Amino acid sequence: MRLRKAGLVGGLVVVLLVMAVVAAGVGQLPIPASEILGSVMHRLDRGLEGLLHVRLPLDVGPMPRHPQGDNALWKVRFPRVTLAVLVGASLAAAGALMQGIFGNPLAEPSVVGVSSGAAVGASLVIVTGATFLGNWTIAAAAFVTGLITTLLVHALSRAGGKTEVVTLVLTGIAVNALTFTLISFATFIANTSAREQLVFWQLGSLNGATWQAVAAVLPFTIVGLAAAFALSHKLDLLSLGDRSAAHLGVDVERLRLFAIVVVALLVGASVAFSGIIGFVGLVVPHLIRMIAGPGHRLLLPASALGGAVLVITADLIARTLIRNADLPIGMITSLVGAPFFFWLLRRTRTRQGGWG
Amino acid sequence: MRRRLPARLDPGTTIAAVRELHIRLGGTKILDGVTLDVTAGQVLALVGPNGAGKSTLLSALCGDLPIDSGQALLYQEPLAHWSAVEMAMRRAVMLQQATISFPFTVAQIVEMGRAPWSGTGRADADEQAIRTAMTLADVIPFSERVFSSLSGGERARVSLARALAQQSQLLLLDEPTAALDLHHQEDVLQLARRQAATGDAVVIVLHDLNLAAGYADQVAILSNGQLAACGPPAEVLTAELLSDVYQHKVEVWPHPATGEPVILPQRQGAGPRR
Repeated sequence: MRLRKAGLVGGLVVVLLVMAVVAAGVGQLPIPASEILGSVMHRLDRGLEGLLHVRLPLDVGPMPRHPQGDNALWKVRFPRVTLAVLVGASLAAAGALMQGIFGNPLAEPSVVGVSSGAAVGASLVIVTGATFLGNWTIAAAAFVTGLITTLLVHALSRAGGKTEVVTLVLTGIAVNALTFTLISFATFIANTSAREQLVFWQLGSLNGATWQAVAAVLPFTIVGLAAAFALSHKLDLLSLGDRSAAHLGVDVERLRLFAIVVVALLVGASVAFSGIIGFVGLVVPHLIRMIAGPGHRLLLPASALGGAVLVITADLIARTLIRNADLPIGMITSLVGAPFFFWLLRRTRTRQGGWG
Repeated sequence: MRRRLPARLDPGTTIAAVRELHIRLGGTKILDGVTLDVTAGQVLALVGPNGAGKSTLLSALCGDLPIDSGQALLYQEPLAHWSAVEMAMRRAVMLQQATISFPFTVAQIVEMGRAPWSGTGRADADEQAIRTAMTLADVIPFSERVFSSLSGGERARVSLARALAQQSQLLLLDEPTAALDLHHQEDVLQLARRQAATGDAVVIVLHDLNLAAGYADQVAILSNGQLAACGPPAEVLTAELLSDVYQHKVEVWPHPATGEPVILPQRQGAGPRR
C-alpha cells in the first residue's frame, strides 16, 4: 500500500513535468523539448553562477534555434504553464478540502458558488481599477468575497451537523444566482475594455498569465496548500461525523472555520488571474479517491498534483484545439466536469435511495 | 497545545460523575436532577423506557451537550476544564448510529481511534492497540472491507473497535447491542466485563434488561429524566419497580442455576398458538 501511494505521487510528478514541457513546446512557434530543457539549464546556470560567483557546468543542451524562441518561452509560455500549475493545484486541493469539511463528495468551489463569490471581488476591482494593495489587489479582493461566500454557503447548507446533497446543491444554485447578479452589475457598469476582460474572464482563461500574476498567486497557493496538508489528519476524523470527531479530540468548530479560510485563500488565488475554471475540484479528488482511497494525507497532495496536470492539459487543449484561437479554459473543464457531476449526482442519489 | 496526559485510576475510584444534572433540549426538560457516579473497574448499565434520558445522560458524560445546571465531572474536574484532546484521552464513545462520508476501510477507521495519542509517547503502542481492539471486537475477518459495505451489526462492531483502540479508561457505549445478533450481544457484554476487570469503567445504555442483569455491576434506572434507582442488578431490577417505570407488568424470577434475575414482560394474548 505504501509503495502504491509513493507510486501515485511519483507518477503524478512525472506526468506533471512531461505535460509542462509539452505545453511549453506547443503553440504557434513549436519548440522541441531538448531546446526547452537547454533554455532552462542555461538560465539556471547563469542564475546560480551570478549568485555563487563560481563557474558551473550546467549550461548544457541546445538553445532554441528560432530567434524569438527563448523569448516566447520565458515571456509567454512559462508564466502560463506556471500559473496553470498554481491554479490547478489550488482548485483541486480546495475541492478536496471542501468535500472533507462538508462531508459531501459533491462540494466543489464552482458548484456551491465559492468561485463565483471570489469572482465578485475580483470583477469589482477590475471594473473600478482599484490598486490599494498593488499587484495583490485582485487576489485579496477575491479572497475576501470568496471567504464571505464560503461562510454563507456553510451556514446555509448545514442542518443538524450534516450537509445533505440536495441542500448543498440548491444552496449552490441560490448563491450562484446572487453572485452572477453582482458580476453582471459589474459588467454593466464597466467600460468597454474592462467589460471584454470580464466576459472572457468569467469563462476562465489563462490568456493573461504573466510573471507578475504568478508572483501574486504564489504566496496564496503555498500558504493555502501547506495549511490544507496540515489539516489532512483531522479531516479523516471529520468523516466520522462531527460528534465522533469531537470524541476523538478534534475541535470541530475551529477546524471548520480554519478550513473555510484556507478554501477561500486557494480559490481566491486561482480565480484572481484566471477567472472561473469549474469542476477541477470535483473531478480530480474523486479520481484520486478511486485510485488511492479517501485518506486525506494522500488525497490532498495527490489532488494538488492531479489538478495541476488537468489544468495544464485543459489549457493546452484550449489554445490549440482551434488554430489561432484561445478558447476559454473554463469551457473545456466544464465540458468534462459537467457530465461527471451529473454522473456523481445520479450515483449519490441511487445510493441514498432517492431524495423525496 | 496544552495536553495533560491521564494517570491510570485505581479500581473503585470515581472516574466520572454527574451532580444534580439538569438538561433541557428545545425547551423540554430531558434530565431533571440526576446524580450518578461512574466507578473504575465496574460496568454501569443505563436502562429505562424510551425518552427517559439515557442517551442524553450519556451525551452529557461525553461533553456533547450544554448543561443547564448541575455538573458533569471527568477525573474529578468539570468537563469544561478539559480540551477536546484531553477528554479523548480519558473517555471513548461509541454512538448508536455510525455513518462515514467517504469509503474508508475498517482498518483505517479503527486506526482513527488512535488520533488522541498522536505526538505523545503512547503513539508507539498504536499498532498493538489497533490489533488488540480489532481482535476483541471480532472485526479482523472484514478489516480490509469498506465500511459502507458492512451490515448493521458489523458496523457496530467496527465502532466498538475504534472506541477500544482509543484505550481510554472510560468507555461510553450508547446501545452497542441494538444491531447485534444474540451471539455478538453476549460478546460485547463479555468484552465490557473483561475491560472492567482490567480496571476500566464501562457505561452502557441498554434496552435488554436481561443483559443488564447478567453483566452489569451497577444498574441505573432512569424514568422521566430522573434516577429511579441505582445499585446492583439483584437489588434494583425488581418486578415492582420495573412494572412502574415501564408502565407494563413485568415479572422477575431468579435464574434456577445462577440466581441472577430473569426479567420477562407479561404477554397478553400470548399462549399456545394454532
